[in-house]
This record gives sequence, C-alpha cells and structure tokens, in this order.
Amino acid sequence: MAIAVFIVFGLLAIAGGVGVITFHQPIRSVLSLVVVMLSLSVLFLLLSAQFVFVVQIIVYAGAVMVLFLFVIALLGPARETGPGRLRFQTGLSSLFVLAFFGLLYAMLQGVQYRQPDHTDLNVFGTVQSIAVGLFTTYLYPFELTSVLLLVAAIGAIYLSRRDES
Amino acid sequence: MSDLYKDPIGHWVVVVLAMAVVLFVLLTATAYTVWFERVALGHIQRRPGPNRVGPWGLMQLAADGIKLAFKESFVPAKTDRVIYVIAPTIAVAAAFLAWAVIPIGLWYNVQYWIADVNVGVLLIFAVSSLNVYAIVLGGYASNNKYSLLGGLRSAAQLISYEMAMGLSLVPTFMIVGSLRLRDIVDYTVHWGPYTGPIPLILLTPIGFLIYMIAAVAETNRTPFDLPEAEQELIGGFLTEYSGLKFVMYYLAEYVNVITASALATLLFFGGWYLWVVPPVLAFFLKVVFFVFVYIWLRGTFPRLRYDMLMRLGWKVLLPLAIVNVIVTGVIIVLVQG
Repeated sequence: MAIAVFIVFGLLAIAGGVGVITFHQPIRSVLSLVVVMLSLSVLFLLLSAQFVFVVQIIVYAGAVMVLFLFVIALLGPARETGPGRLRFQTGLSSLFVLAFFGLLYAMLQGVQYRQPDHTDLNVFGTVQSIAVGLFTTYLYPFELTSVLLLVAAIGAIYLSRRDES
Repeated sequence: MSDLYKDPIGHWVVVVLAMAVVLFVLLTATAYTVWFERVALGHIQRRPGPNRVGPWGLMQLAADGIKLAFKESFVPAKTDRVIYVIAPTIAVAAAFLAWAVIPIGLWYNVQYWIADVNVGVLLIFAVSSLNVYAIVLGGYASNNKYSLLGGLRSAAQLISYEMAMGLSLVPTFMIVGSLRLRDIVDYTVHWGPYTGPIPLILLTPIGFLIYMIAAVAETNRTPFDLPEAEQELIGGFLTEYSGLKFVMYYLAEYVNVITASALATLLFFGGWYLWVVPPVLAFFLKVVFFVFVYIWLRGTFPRLRYDMLMRLGWKVLLPLAIVNVIVTGVIIVLVQG
C-alpha cells in the first residue's frame, strides 16, 4: 500500500518539477512548484514524519508559495520574456547534474538500512520528539537560525522603507 | 469495532462509509446553516426571512440549489480556463479535508474519527491554509480587476490572521501537552472534589477570544469580509463565478464556518461533554451556538477598513497572542513548581 502511494506521489513530484522549468506562463510554474511541495509532504508522511509533513504544507504551500503567487498576480498574466538560454547552459547543466549524482552516489556508499521497529514509529516524527530535539540537542543552531531570520526581516523592512527626507 | 479494524478490508469499508456519512452530514448541515443564517439575520433586521418554500422555509435551499445547478456556467473571455475551474475545486477540497481529523463524540465513551493523527490541530491549519489558493487563483483567473483586488486582499488577510490564530491555540497545547484533538477534549483536572473534563476556556480565556476573532477573519465573514466587499469590489473574487462553480465557493465558505465552530467547541468548550446531555446532542448544540455567534456578528458589526484590519491583526492580536503564550508558560512553570 505504502509503495503505491510512494510511486504515485514520487511521480507527481517529478512531474511538478518538470512543469516548473517547462511551463512558459509563470503562474503555471508556481502551481507546479506547489504540486512538488504537496507531493513531498506526502512522502514525509510515508516516512512517518507527521510534524514535518504538516509544517511542509503550512510553511511552503501555505505561505512561501502564496507570496510567489502574490507577486505574479500583481505583475499580470504576462508571458516569460527576457533573454532565452545562456550560451553554455546545456553543457554546464549536464556537468552539474553529473557532479550531483556523483556526490549522491558517494554519500550513499556504506549506508546501512534497517526496518523501523514499533518503538521507532511511536516516537519518531511526533511533535514531542522534534520539540525535545530542538530545545535540547540542537538549541544553539536553532536559536542562531531564528536570530538570522530576525536580522533578515529587519533588513527587509529597512530596505523597503521610503526615504523620508 | 476494534476487530473490524484489524481486518484490512473491514478497515477500508468502515473508513469509506464514515467518509460518506461525514460528507452527507456536512452537505446537509451546510444547507441548513445557510437557512439558519437567513432566518436569524431576518429576525435581527426585523423581517421574516425565508418562509415560503416548505414549512418555515426549510426547503428554500433545495430550491436555490436546483436554480443554481441549472444556471448557465459562464466563463469570462481571455481567462486561464484551467485555473479558473481548479480554483473553486481547491476551496471545496480544503474545506472537507479538515473533517478527516475532527473527532465526533457519538455516545458516552464512544467517539469516532476518520484519522487520529498526532498533529491533528496542525493538520486542520495546513489544510485551511490551502484555502488561500482557491481565492487568489479565482481572483487571478477571472481576468477582472475587482476579482484580482479581492484575491490579493484575501491572501494578505488570511496569512496575517493565520499567525494570530495559530499562536492563540499554543497555550491550550501547553496546558494539555498534546496536539491531538481527542486528548484536548479529554483533558482532565483534579480540582478539590471535582475530577473530570473541563471546558478549557476557563484556563485560556484570552486564547479563545483571539481564536474567535481570527477564525472570523480566516473564513472571510463579516466584519472581515473584505475579499468580497460588495460596495467596493462588486463581489471580489466571486464576481465572475456563476452556477455550480459559485456554489462550490459558497459551500466551502459555510463548511469552513462549521469547521471553525466545531474547533472552538473541541478546543475551548469541552467538545462532547456537557453534564448528562448525550454527547452527540451536546456537540451539535455547541456547534450550532458558535454558528449563531458568526451570524450574530454579521448582523451586528460593519465591515472594517483595510488598514484597520491589518492593524488589528498585526499590532493587537499577534502581540496579545505572544504575551498570552509567555504568561501561560510562566504560570505552568510556577504551578508545577
């Protein structure tokens, strides 16, 4: 059952990804990206990471992508314009893809897999276990990230402020 | 019941049946919510309201439904037809999905829910945050300036109030220690001679107040119905929708009202517990009461101006919600020693 769900949503995620780069209307690209985000959230759920599943939907589909949509709706339904492909794009992108898969292969060498047992599934991915992780083991990086976000928010407000003089 | 769950096919039969029942009950409830709203608004405005079709006008919604179903479903020129059709579908899907995790008390100690997930309340937020797409895409695809403005207003409004709404519930989660709706309803206290479930509003009155205000804004109801402000935007994102697509938006709005009322009941008013009243009846009465509060607000308050809406959301409700979280945290630490 889980494998069928995985195949359906995995394919949907890939199709969405292809849609993002092939559609010429920006709004279709954005909606394809939403499909990618939602499919990924289902994949998280299959890994029994319930909290990450919900946060993926709330943050990415519910907030980030809506801002994308906001900008496109304000700019109007214009087609994508501007310069087409860069001259070296094909060669360069193939190189990057090769490097990426090489890296992926190298990382997966010697990885041990095991079936999750029952206690794992009761604890893993719940709100409680993630909260304990965030506020004990990873407290320092977590707080640093929040300060970084705060700085970014203040910077954005400062930059978008009109000059009063 | 539990034996049936162990059998894989029996499990599917039960879940599919339950989904069909929930769908049927919700559709019926939506129709009668609209009827209830029109009658209640009528009485608030000292006029009779619908009273011609059937006894007390009870068949009015059936008549309206048939009329809307046979209307021409007009699609404006030069629109993105795919997105124009998808938008209302998203609204309906998002509205019904929330009911997958809402537990319903059927009888004393008998409750039913389609899915009992660890992150129940958050899942409802996630699903309702998809509602933004329905409105923004509907406004965008209608190829109409009023629709677009309505859609954009709505996006800003929904995102702003989602923050306050989410934070308003954090004290409840802190007290109960769970995001599971069933655990929140079953939260038990030991106060002197009394041991049993209590309505959580006694512990988080401010959280309830913020939740109620934000929920009205989230469902686009008066006094926060700026996305479809008739006097300035004709009908906002709804302007270019007719026939069954209009019905889908309408349906989604009322299902969302019922969902928000059910959530208020479960989170703050003890769900299906009400003295000796049978749980189904208790749950029903509480939800009807909150639906009435929605209608009451609509009959009482004028619409807010846009800047007032944003100021209320960001400068009043959000700070209040954050303070509420901090104060609740301090009290919990003090009480637990």
